Amino acid sequence: MLPRVLSLGVRRGPLTRRPGTLRGGFSLDWEEKLSEIKKKIQSVLPGTSLHPLYDSSHLPPDHSDVVIVGGGVLGLSVAYWLKKLEKQRGALRVLVVERDLTYSQASSALSLGGIHQQFSLPENIHLSLFSASFLRNINEHLAVVDAPPLDLQFNPLGYLWLASEKDAAAMENNVKVQRQEGAKVCLMSPDQLRNKFPWINTEGVALASYGMEDEGWFDPWCLLQGLRRKVQSMGVLFCQGEVTRESELVKMDNSVEYQPVECALVINAAGAWSAQIAALAGIGKGPPDTLQGTKLPVEPRKRYVYVWHCPQGPGLESPLVADTSGTYFRREGLGSNYLGGRSPTEEEEPDPENLEVDHDFFQDKVWPHLAQRVPAFETLKVQNAWAGYYDYNTFDQNGVVGPHPLVVNMFFATGFSGHGLQQAPGVGRAVAEMILEGRFQTINLDSFLFSRFYLGEKIQEDNII
Amino acid sequence: MLKIILPTIMMLPTMWLSKTHMMWINTMTCSLLISIFTLMMLYLPNNSCNLSLNFFSDPLTSPLLMLTAWLLPLMILATQQHLYNNSAPRKKLYISMLVFLQISLIMTFSATELILFYILFETTLIPTLIIITRWGYQPERLNAGSYFLFYTLAGSLPLLITLLHYFSSLGSLNILTMTINTKEMMLSWTNNIMWLGCMMAFMVKMPLYGLHLWLPKAHVEAPIAGSMVLAAILLKLGSYGMMRVTPMLNPLTEKMSYPFIVLSLWGMVMTSSICLRQADLKSLIAYSSVSHMALVILAILIQTPWSLTGAMILMIAHGLTSSLLFCLANSNYERVHSRTMMFTRGLQALFPLLALWWLLANLTNLALPPTINLMGELLTILASFSWSNFTIMFTGFNMLITALYSLHMFTSTQRGPLTYSTSNVKPLFTRENTLMLMHMAPILLLTLNPKTIMCLTP
Repeated sequence: MLPRVLSLGVRRGPLTRRPGTLRGGFSLDWEEKLSEIKKKIQSVLPGTSLHPLYDSSHLPPDHSDVVIVGGGVLGLSVAYWLKKLEKQRGALRVLVVERDLTYSQASSALSLGGIHQQFSLPENIHLSLFSASFLRNINEHLAVVDAPPLDLQFNPLGYLWLASEKDAAAMENNVKVQRQEGAKVCLMSPDQLRNKFPWINTEGVALASYGMEDEGWFDPWCLLQGLRRKVQSMGVLFCQGEVTRESELVKMDNSVEYQPVECALVINAAGAWSAQIAALAGIGKGPPDTLQGTKLPVEPRKRYVYVWHCPQGPGLESPLVADTSGTYFRREGLGSNYLGGRSPTEEEEPDPENLEVDHDFFQDKVWPHLAQRVPAFETLKVQNAWAGYYDYNTFDQNGVVGPHPLVVNMFFATGFSGHGLQQAPGVGRAVAEMILEGRFQTINLDSFLFSRFYLGEKIQEDNII
Repeated sequence: MLKIILPTIMMLPTMWLSKTHMMWINTMTCSLLISIFTLMMLYLPNNSCNLSLNFFSDPLTSPLLMLTAWLLPLMILATQQHLYNNSAPRKKLYISMLVFLQISLIMTFSATELILFYILFETTLIPTLIIITRWGYQPERLNAGSYFLFYTLAGSLPLLITLLHYFSSLGSLNILTMTINTKEMMLSWTNNIMWLGCMMAFMVKMPLYGLHLWLPKAHVEAPIAGSMVLAAILLKLGSYGMMRVTPMLNPLTEKMSYPFIVLSLWGMVMTSSICLRQADLKSLIAYSSVSHMALVILAILIQTPWSLTGAMILMIAHGLTSSLLFCLANSNYERVHSRTMMFTRGLQALFPLLALWWLLANLTNLALPPTINLMGELLTILASFSWSNFTIMFTGFNMLITALYSLHMFTSTQRGPLTYSTSNVKPLFTRENTLMLMHMAPILLLTLNPKTIMCLTP
């Protein structure tokens, strides 16, 4: 507060003479001073925040019923569903706290934007199916009066998972489960693969599964902005700040100002940094091997995405191909550009300190596999690359959803290890139902609760890239 | 009367000079003893005590005085938790506000002279405003305080002018001599405006349906003691004032009261219906206050002996019930830090004793026989039926909707599946249980002997 007040006074010394001004006469920036005064008066008027000495309109409110930590696609999805499913309009006051409103390091913005239903767990399949139908009808869900409709740029080209001999049986099982749950997937033999995608080298491929509907990729930034626009129109408050201390109240830091926010529920949707928020709430502070001592096992992992240009490449018909080696690529735009990468193994895990790209990783680890699978990629030229974080769940690489057993007013919606964006609408709805109804109604995510970390029940998902 | 006023004034030095750890105990004990003094008024012949020129007691005054005195210890009990983190001088300041309010209220209810009544009526606004704006919970409290202050002030300024005019024409505004006043108010433009001037202040305070905007804001933003005193006593100031002023306005009241009767009938139904759609618990209770007080306005404006009795009983009953509901909502708020009803559901499974208090509070709110709430409503509805048969449609419909929202309040907070996020809240403290009991016991005991509050010989 004090620096702000001082800054208004020390902007110009009393003895500086600006050209064209007389001492004591009108100065050139009278307009600016007037608008400052007006702003100050407005902030003191009844009905606004009760800080008569300084303007606090940029600070979050003193009270909020639900505080969502993290303004990425998962946090915004939870906010959207909370506001949509509340019984009376305006019943819940929701506040979304986002540390970086430019989303420069957020996983949602740096994501590849793929969506597929080819998981081995039924819950994951259902979540993706739900999200696919949400995205299909996105302009009905996220319509805002007088705003232009959203153009998600959904490319429904599907995912193509390739399996070697030893993985073929597992893939067949998975496809059976996926078909049962309603995903439209087909199995292809190497011959059929060569027929359909002549640019693939099917050496080492025993089986492939190809998603035919509701799979593909879209623009995650568009989804993020669409959700943001919609939740703001529904009355959710946004605030830029960082959650630092927590007892019962959530305190936030904005530069050196902080504002305690009193709330009933906190939703941890902080993505790669969820572990810090959980630690603030005291989760994990206790003797090991107890429920109090179980930490939230989500940590940031850096993943690289490379963009290359290859005019002789697969062309318009290429789906997102996930190779047997873990390498993946997809087409980007109409100019023969492709995006792709590979998840590093445990030993070669890069340091998540910053988002610097390691170009040698592409040369050594990604390109050979790409060239082997698609011979046309031998002559590619890398144009661009970026890195993003996975909110990697070190326990079983699946999301954590729902309340914590001991800290009963913290809910999680994090830890999705790379497939958070595609499951965001479904997870948002699940968390909102858990809060408002007390149980999961549309999709049963009981196996994704926090307590599995203590009980040691891993829910392994095979198809993670 | 001095035996009540002087000890209340002396509570201020008692509290400021007591040690920090004895502060709550001292104030609690003092205020309880003062309330026992007021109970002595029950044993006066005719419930009247006219020992002084300035203060007196009357069957109309004594129940309200007893309610006021009884409420101070309850307010002190209720505020201990939310003031916990404040420094000792701040806590003492808060209690001084409450005591100051109490002094003005006791003097208001026992004033003989109408000008003295008016001055103290306005005085009660100041500590209430300070309590709402300084210790309320949210930034909207500034707005709430302004609405409260300016609505009431704007309504009561004409009252001052009218009272001064009457003083100059009648010679004295002593309540006891007004009953032998022979001057009648005939129908004329001046007298109409005089009537309006007298009554508007109290209509705003009650509040009447069209002038009720300040109430939901003030009740919701006020801290618990503020809500309690607002709901229980300050609203009754309006009805008490109306009952004191109407003897000098006859027979004009029969003609002039018509639009206000219609407004209160309509307002009853409207505000009860709003209650059905509230998501915020305190807001629901605030609107239910407006609905109950609309019945009281109706009763006072009809001016029959039965309806005045009904108004009196309703005042006391509603004061206790509303205050109890606010205390219950506050106990929810202190645990969950949210006023939304949907975050505290299914509490009966966790806190059976709390469920008992909720049940009793909601049953009395919906005027279950044989509670005094029902007696008040019954007398009022019967009187209004004989005033005009058509009013039964509104009053009957209102009783139905009142039952609906009271039961809705009960089932949504107590029944149903327990919300996950409230499963580790602490159960009710002894202090809170005492608070609820001290609210409920008078209601239940008065059921056995309602003639104390029946105001039979005003």
